[in-house]
Amino acid sequence: MISIKSHVVIGSKNGGKIKGKALVTTEPICFLGGVDVKTGNITEKGHPLLGQCIKDVVLVFPTGKGSTGGSYLIYDTVCNGNGPLCMLNLKIEQVTVVGCIMGEVPLLDKPDQDVTRIIKTGDTVEVDLDSSVISVFQ
Amino acid sequence: MRLTEEEQLMLNGERGPSVQKAMEIQVQLGEIYGAECMIPVKSAHMPGASIVVAGDGALKFIEEMGNHCEKFAAFTTLNTGAVDMDRPEEVGFSEEAVKKQQRLTCAYEKMGAIACHTCTPYFIGHVPKKGEHLAWGESSAIAFVNSVLGARTNREGGPAALAAAITGRVPAYGYHLDENRKGNFIINVRCELSDVSDFGSLGYWVGKRVESGVPVFTGIPADTDLDQLKMLSAALASSGSVALFHVVGLTPEAPTLEAAMGGNKAVEVYEFTKKEMDEANRQLNKHSGQPVSLVALGCPHSSLREIIRIAELLKDKKVKAHFWVLTSQPIKHLAERSGYAQIIEAAGAKLVVDTCTVLGEMAEPMRRTGMTAMATNSAKLAHYAPGQWNIPTYYGTTEQCVNAALKGVFENDQH
Repeated sequence: MISIKSHVVIGSKNGGKIKGKALVTTEPICFLGGVDVKTGNITEKGHPLLGQCIKDVVLVFPTGKGSTGGSYLIYDTVCNGNGPLCMLNLKIEQVTVVGCIMGEVPLLDKPDQDVTRIIKTGDTVEVDLDSSVISVFQ
Repeated sequence: MRLTEEEQLMLNGERGPSVQKAMEIQVQLGEIYGAECMIPVKSAHMPGASIVVAGDGALKFIEEMGNHCEKFAAFTTLNTGAVDMDRPEEVGFSEEAVKKQQRLTCAYEKMGAIACHTCTPYFIGHVPKKGEHLAWGESSAIAFVNSVLGARTNREGGPAALAAAITGRVPAYGYHLDENRKGNFIINVRCELSDVSDFGSLGYWVGKRVESGVPVFTGIPADTDLDQLKMLSAALASSGSVALFHVVGLTPEAPTLEAAMGGNKAVEVYEFTKKEMDEANRQLNKHSGQPVSLVALGCPHSSLREIIRIAELLKDKKVKAHFWVLTSQPIKHLAERSGYAQIIEAAGAKLVVDTCTVLGEMAEPMRRTGMTAMATNSAKLAHYAPGQWNIPTYYGTTEQCVNAALKGVFENDQH
């Protein structure tokens, strides 16, 4: 088990722990044209996660990029029941932050180790929103 | 965060539930980013103005905000929508998309937004000046007004811009503050840039490398025009999330390299030569040897000068592919009045307004145009279209694209 100290940007009303499978990329994600809100599948051509689904995963990516339309697309993905359990970023950017505020998706940043390289897709990850500690089970 | 008496009243709900919700979002954002206070904004430009971006959940949220809000506190224009409102059927948009778009547009108009539905509001009179604080969405317009005009806005997503329009304020962080406006990358341009697409290729290559940094360009000629800078802005904000750049000797905060860097040391210094240009062009040109069924120019929306250029290239000719020249209503009006629109339409091309091939509800028009392949001179469009609409894309100069429309095939040899 690997333990990573992070920082909670957006928690949940009740705090607590989130546990799920990780979906990890070292490439930034764009939510406009990059994710299908009706399925949660990543659709950006050439993206390493092309075809993977963000529904109910702990989504690990360095930062958001691209269109400012992205916030509503995160919100709509969540409204359609296809949102991730939680997002881990190296560095937050506003479009993702606002989407997560609206969709009430917990968001963490500033991990003390590079989560996009240490965590692998399919790992089980437990995120403690009270202590900001991420536990990775490989 | 330090709030004024009025802001505190807004947050407490004394100004109604929409103002309260808007203030809650803004205070949460301000606290995340360490803002000390709020600052008044001169205007807002609203992303999330297309039903492609604002789906059912977002539409309900926006209508609900409108039901409890009398008028926006800030002057607000709407970004690109999902259909051509002038002649949706002729262009090929479905009735369902038109109805849905009208509902979204009305929700914003009810709060006082100007439904210009363009990504280049700065070409039609919404022109911020240096130092003004704004709440703008639309990544290409953000980069343009921050960098080329010297105004100050963060990359406002839909809900954040809506909140700012409602309260007339933004939390004071990011690009509103002097210390975040200094350059931290240097790009030395060592090759000739001529067509607008060259600026798109440059922006695409650099955006990938600097992500959300502030690149400072040297070697871009001082006579570079606004159309070229528009393309640079759009591309930087597509492959990366650049909101601000400086061009030494050209943009208002960069009289010299030293002034643009403001004492920062460059994280990285890049040389951009013909080799890098070719690399960007290759990545954007996701072609597969198919005939071109649609040519799209005007991403971001065309200026009158770009339309004149296209009209000159199309004069007395006939296109074989569908050909959309994307622009705003007022520019189309001027193009009609000056006769350029008639030249373009006589060649079989169309001036398409209010929408584009990224934010448009393109499923029906794509089906009608045959969906084989698209050609564009926009790095932004070439970046987004393949993922958004699953269509192969050719990318090249304005002239190459016009030739592709005339021949029905894209010829790749000029680049």
